[in-house]
Amino acid sequence: MKTLLKLSWRNIWRNKRRTFITVASIFFAVFFSVFMNSVQRGAWVRMLDNVVNFYFGYAQIHQKGFWDEQSIEKAFQMNAEIEKLPQQVSGLEGMVPRLESFALASYGTNTRGVLLIGTNPPLENSLSGLRERVVKGRYFKENENAVLLSEGLAKLLKISLNDTLVLISQGYHGVNAAGKYPVVGLVKFASPDLNKQMAYLPLKVAQGFYGAENLITSLALKIKDKDAGKKVVRAVSDRLGSDDYEVLGWQEMLPDLLEAQKTDAAGNYLFLIVLYIIITFGIFGTILMMTKERSFEFGVLVSIGMNRMLLGFTVWLEVILLGLLGALLGIIGSLPVVYYFHLNPIDLSGFSKDITKVYAKWGFDPLLPAALEWQLFFWQAVLVVAITSVLAIYPIWKIKNLQPVEAMRE
Amino acid sequence: MKKWCILLAILTFLGLKSFAQEEPNAKQIIHRAEQKLNGKTNQSEIKMTIIRPSWKREIKLKTWGIGADFTLILLSAPARDKGIAFLKREKEIWNWQPSIDRVIKLPPSMMMQSWMGSDFTNDDLVQQSDPVEDYSHKILGSEEIEGRDCYILEMIPHEDAAVVWGKLIVWVDKADYMELKTEFFDEDDYLVNTMLGKQVKLMDGKLLPSILEVIPAEEEGKKTIVEYLSISFDKPLKTSFFSIQNMKRLR
Repeated sequence: MKTLLKLSWRNIWRNKRRTFITVASIFFAVFFSVFMNSVQRGAWVRMLDNVVNFYFGYAQIHQKGFWDEQSIEKAFQMNAEIEKLPQQVSGLEGMVPRLESFALASYGTNTRGVLLIGTNPPLENSLSGLRERVVKGRYFKENENAVLLSEGLAKLLKISLNDTLVLISQGYHGVNAAGKYPVVGLVKFASPDLNKQMAYLPLKVAQGFYGAENLITSLALKIKDKDAGKKVVRAVSDRLGSDDYEVLGWQEMLPDLLEAQKTDAAGNYLFLIVLYIIITFGIFGTILMMTKERSFEFGVLVSIGMNRMLLGFTVWLEVILLGLLGALLGIIGSLPVVYYFHLNPIDLSGFSKDITKVYAKWGFDPLLPAALEWQLFFWQAVLVVAITSVLAIYPIWKIKNLQPVEAMRE
Repeated sequence: MKKWCILLAILTFLGLKSFAQEEPNAKQIIHRAEQKLNGKTNQSEIKMTIIRPSWKREIKLKTWGIGADFTLILLSAPARDKGIAFLKREKEIWNWQPSIDRVIKLPPSMMMQSWMGSDFTNDDLVQQSDPVEDYSHKILGSEEIEGRDCYILEMIPHEDAAVVWGKLIVWVDKADYMELKTEFFDEDDYLVNTMLGKQVKLMDGKLLPSILEVIPAEEEGKKTIVEYLSISFDKPLKTSFFSIQNMKRLR
């Protein structure tokens, strides 16, 4: 066995040019697919993290039917059972109670529709880092009669810090909701849409505004370990039962985002398939050439009594070695590149305004960091070895049916 | 003898016919009912109860009105809504929100929205349309409602009238011109709301239903009840009372 390995290793280097060509083509295939995969993956991991952390939380608890209607009439009261959840379900780190509905915001003669969110200031910050989004003024305090406005909205309303914002809406059970609140801070969101429509009140103040004392419309769940997310959601859901509440993961709340991810991944796979088909034929070409060139040698070996199976195995080893070599080099070559782009994400805003817009729609900057995950590299190597080992069947088959005399004459 | 009989029959028939002609036509019936309800001027205190399958809410309000053109409504309960007022002057409707110091002019687009979460729309509240002039009327027949003989009238709005209904069927008491039942149909002839007048009482010298119930047709368990706690007619009121300034001042 050791001899065979040695033999095939030396055989590879008998024709250096052929080896270089083969290894290079495999190298590029692996390099590109690793790079593409990691950028694509990195972009989505970042996107999901962004969306999930930015506002939704990994999952939310609502009264049953809230998500379809999004109506304040579906508000519910926290009870002891719900409050105990973080202690009972491992992996659930915290919950942010929110009261969300729509309102008209007015200042002077300007009026805009806003998404008005009543939330607990410190808890909100721990989930979505709202405090860090404050670009002007300060963060609001619990029970403070104050509103945080998104920056774009403030611009549209021509309102500045410490001015009084008028809010008007229909509250819980159709009550009249109207109130005045001083603007204590402006928050900035990357998404222009959100930046134009978000307004935050402290939870108690919002409950007063909507006439919904002690009521909330949603509880955002804080789950750090995304991989355990689904399990935590199921545990919470089991505990609450499905008669009164719905526990929705972000996948259910944002199905279009999930679809977009799948579409993007599918496009990527298609591209990779095409790439690998090309590479496969490239490798096959060199193998074909090699088999042809060495037909005299094979003929001699067979006629002096070399076992055909052993000979075939040696050639098979050669091809696998070539594949492994290419894959290894590809991984080694792509590692620093992926690492570089992991630290310095690709900024697409320089390329095109449209791309910026598309990304902005989902609420973030057009940055593509590469994901640094060992699986990505590992699977490329597995794939290349699989392809080459299948291709290596050809010379084995050729050798098996070899007629030594004819082979030597060719 | 036979001839006499025929003559008598003819005479009776003619007599009946001439008697029938003395009955008011459809438009007059609506006009009288409207006049009776509004008077020259009217003032009332109302308790409105909004009933939903899972909850119930009460609003108290005071109203002032001159004919159909001027109406002022002031909320007196619940506490969080106290002082909110609605003013109608001819075709314009204003809303005063004391908690934000603002007067809001209600645009026509808001006329069909629910008023304070009830089954009344803003339009019902201020009666922007004139039941006499904005509709064409027709008598469909008679029917007894709660022991009272009523005309059944069909009211179809004129094309240019600011009315959203496709058709109204109204039951009006023959003796006292009270609207005891109204069915509101949309443009596709589907029943949307039914309004019932109940508990007929003598109020300030007029016989009127003291309770109005609005029942949306396709939403089970929903209902709004308006109860007149007091009503008075023809007390002196000036049109200058119906101003934005006064709306803000009223307590």
